[in-house]
Amino acid sequence: MAGAIIENMSTKKLCLVGGILLIFQVIAFLVGGLIAPSPTTAVPYLSVKCVDIWKNHHKTKWLMPWGLNKCEKIRDLDEAMSRQIEANDIVFAVHIPLPNKEMSSWFQFMLVILQLDIAFKKNNEIKDNAEVTLDVSLAYRDDMSSDWKEMAHAIETRKLKCTFASPKTIEHEGRYYDCDVLPLMEIGTVAHKFYLINIRLPVNERKLTNVGIGEIKDIRLVSIHQNGGFTKVWFAMKTFLTPSIFIIMVWYWRRIKMMTRAPVLLEKVIFALGISMTFINIPVEWFSIGFDWTWMLLFGDIRQGIFYAMLLSFWIIFCGEHMMDQNERNRLSGYWKQVGPIAVGAFCLFIFDMCERGVQLKNPFYSIWTTDVGTELAMAFIIVAGICLCLYFLFLCFMVFQVFRNISGKQSSLPAMSKARRLHYEGLIFRFKFLMLITLACAAMTIIFFIVSQVTEGHWKWGDFTVQVNSAFFTGIYGMWNLYVFALMFLYAPSHKNYGEDQSNGDLGINTGDELQLTTTITHVDGPTEVYKLARKEAQE
Amino acid sequence: MSPRYSLRSLLLVILAAFSANASNWLYLAKLSSVGSISEEETCEKLKGLIQRQVQMCKRNLEVMDSVRRGAQLAIEECQYQFRNRRWNCSTLDTLPVFGKVVTQGTREAAFVYAISSAGVAFAVTRACSSGELDKCGCDRTVHGVSPQGFQWSGCSDNIAYGVAFSQSFVDVRERSKGASSSRALMNLHNNEAGRKAILNNMRVECKCHGVSGSCEVKTCWKAMPPFRKVGNVLKEKFDGATEVEQRKIGSTKVLVPKNSQFKPHTDEDLVYLDSSPDFCDHDLKNGVLGTSGRQCNKTSKAIDGCELMCCGRGFHTEEVEVVERCSCKFHWCCFVKCKQCHRVVEMHTCR
Repeated sequence: MAGAIIENMSTKKLCLVGGILLIFQVIAFLVGGLIAPSPTTAVPYLSVKCVDIWKNHHKTKWLMPWGLNKCEKIRDLDEAMSRQIEANDIVFAVHIPLPNKEMSSWFQFMLVILQLDIAFKKNNEIKDNAEVTLDVSLAYRDDMSSDWKEMAHAIETRKLKCTFASPKTIEHEGRYYDCDVLPLMEIGTVAHKFYLINIRLPVNERKLTNVGIGEIKDIRLVSIHQNGGFTKVWFAMKTFLTPSIFIIMVWYWRRIKMMTRAPVLLEKVIFALGISMTFINIPVEWFSIGFDWTWMLLFGDIRQGIFYAMLLSFWIIFCGEHMMDQNERNRLSGYWKQVGPIAVGAFCLFIFDMCERGVQLKNPFYSIWTTDVGTELAMAFIIVAGICLCLYFLFLCFMVFQVFRNISGKQSSLPAMSKARRLHYEGLIFRFKFLMLITLACAAMTIIFFIVSQVTEGHWKWGDFTVQVNSAFFTGIYGMWNLYVFALMFLYAPSHKNYGEDQSNGDLGINTGDELQLTTTITHVDGPTEVYKLARKEAQE
Repeated sequence: MSPRYSLRSLLLVILAAFSANASNWLYLAKLSSVGSISEEETCEKLKGLIQRQVQMCKRNLEVMDSVRRGAQLAIEECQYQFRNRRWNCSTLDTLPVFGKVVTQGTREAAFVYAISSAGVAFAVTRACSSGELDKCGCDRTVHGVSPQGFQWSGCSDNIAYGVAFSQSFVDVRERSKGASSSRALMNLHNNEAGRKAILNNMRVECKCHGVSGSCEVKTCWKAMPPFRKVGNVLKEKFDGATEVEQRKIGSTKVLVPKNSQFKPHTDEDLVYLDSSPDFCDHDLKNGVLGTSGRQCNKTSKAIDGCELMCCGRGFHTEEVEVVERCSCKFHWCCFVKCKQCHRVVEMHTCR
């Protein structure tokens, strides 16, 4: 891959390109920070305790917490005690969303979290390893007057992980346990306007279901969905980025095809990176607005996974191709040691995701973490993926180290080389160092922003002026990796000064005026193209 | 009811009519017989509300049940927190609900105001999350609202609505008087301290839901503390309450600690103007029930011990057989199967 654009570009032009990319980068951050709202919203719900008086009549299966046909409710469970209502007759009902609001398909996904308020009672403590069994059903409808249609029904168990902060004495009766939040359900599209969740906690003493779970006071749910405003900004961004990356990709491949030689491995990998970026960019999510495609969430995960795997492979191959030792690589099989862990890791995460989100397509209440076997399996997948990632980074660091060692070795012997050879190596070194620099910059930016968004509150306020840090993080980082791929395809495309024999004649020769060639930082007089031709000849010999 | 008691009640009603008592609305807690407050006429009939509260009631009918629930919660919690003290937050069936102790600027009054404004904020917020109220969170008339609505950016927290409602309902009495008297300033401060006890103890909970459930995307929300926790916080504030006096600084009147060596109080602290009576003796004029007949703990040296509780009057001891439930079997709700155990205990009551 001799003679990429980056080497033949003047400093001025390179700065210009850098400046333009920087402007787009800033725009990407600002779009998220100023236009978009925060990425997600959490809405807390308190379930209404309904009495299932129609249990034996099958008049209606669904119990509404409020509205026209609201259920007969009890305010607290002491009331149930005095009215001799059994545990099996109590249904916890939650209507999503709250009154006078509608869900919308712009929300993209919805996950619901369950929190139990369990009061401490000296003689009714939570037993060790207690499990709560939930009989949950989910229904939907699209207008307030129609009937509820069942969407899913399942009997699920969840482990209770509760601690009690005060000493367990009579005086502290009535205080609540601190319980971990439990995942309840996850749906990949929000295609309907109204959802209804009915939860029962059936008691069966023979089977020991829901025995020893303490005194439940309330069931609280939290629904999390993506904000409509954020979705719109995100779609707009994707719709803009797709053609940009696609055009540069086509341009890049055309340049490679115009060359007389076959494309080398590195060029193919860069092209593949462009394809995977475009694959992420293509705004297929637009379809989720009209269609009830529940697999969209899973599909999004897969697309992201492919891109990450591609990016990691690219870094390895880029290092390998700039190794400057005598080994002939240029084949993917030469990198099996490094690419292998990526493939294994990505595959593990894929399997894990299929086990979690894949099964959720069938049963939205499913979670792999609820059973012991599932937890172990999930942990196994994640640990293997983690080991693969560590292995990968060790290989990568080692390769970068090797390249730098070779660079310093070559640099000391540079003056002794023939001009053509020297320029070839100088080009390689420059290309490598440049990519190293921007890659590190991008990675650092990602990590810094990630930490900032984890640590700080979602938004910063100056008077009336609010900046959504989390949204800025998402749009900014997404824009940044797009620009990274864009810059990569643009700067590392073969220079046309290289292949157009007759064209290059024009600007061949001595550098004119201020067009100081970048490669001239290490002195040379001739134009680079001539030299590369020489270098190639030399290499062929 | 003994004739003496009725007489006292009558007297108290008359007293109440003359003394402006801003906590009279707590009487709502006693009106469980009214049923749900669903018509505007009911507002007029509710005892204890001032005119502007009646207007608020008419405008916010659906919220009134929660206000009542808040008042009940506050009283229950007050009685729990003070169960072992000489003043045990006992209520009367008349106005003012707590007797005259609360109409004076005492520590106890500070606690009652704080817990009741917290109770309203708590109950309204809960009602919001269970869907009983129509205009929480996204209501544009209450501050903290996103301009573009639920679809664009979601709604603000329900607690913002609960607190705002508590502010406008509970504080209205003091505000209508122009917030100039030292009592009004004290009440406003303590009301706010009660709401702060909720706001500053909100639990932040988070959930990660990025690719494969990673923390790439994390959503956090605030969960209200249990009301017991609010009660505990306020009880601590009660124990460390600051005695204040009114002073004029510039053109505004403010409350400053009486003892200038003390640290100035914060927004969360309770303040009081008058020192409390000792609550030992039955005092008809001040509505103090006294401690005679109260149970006490013989071994304790604290306020629940017989020494302090009975104010040195001594105590009776008798052996009582109590029937307790033991070796019970529970379900998570509504089912308890117990054996009955008989136990003889010594019970001490103040003379």
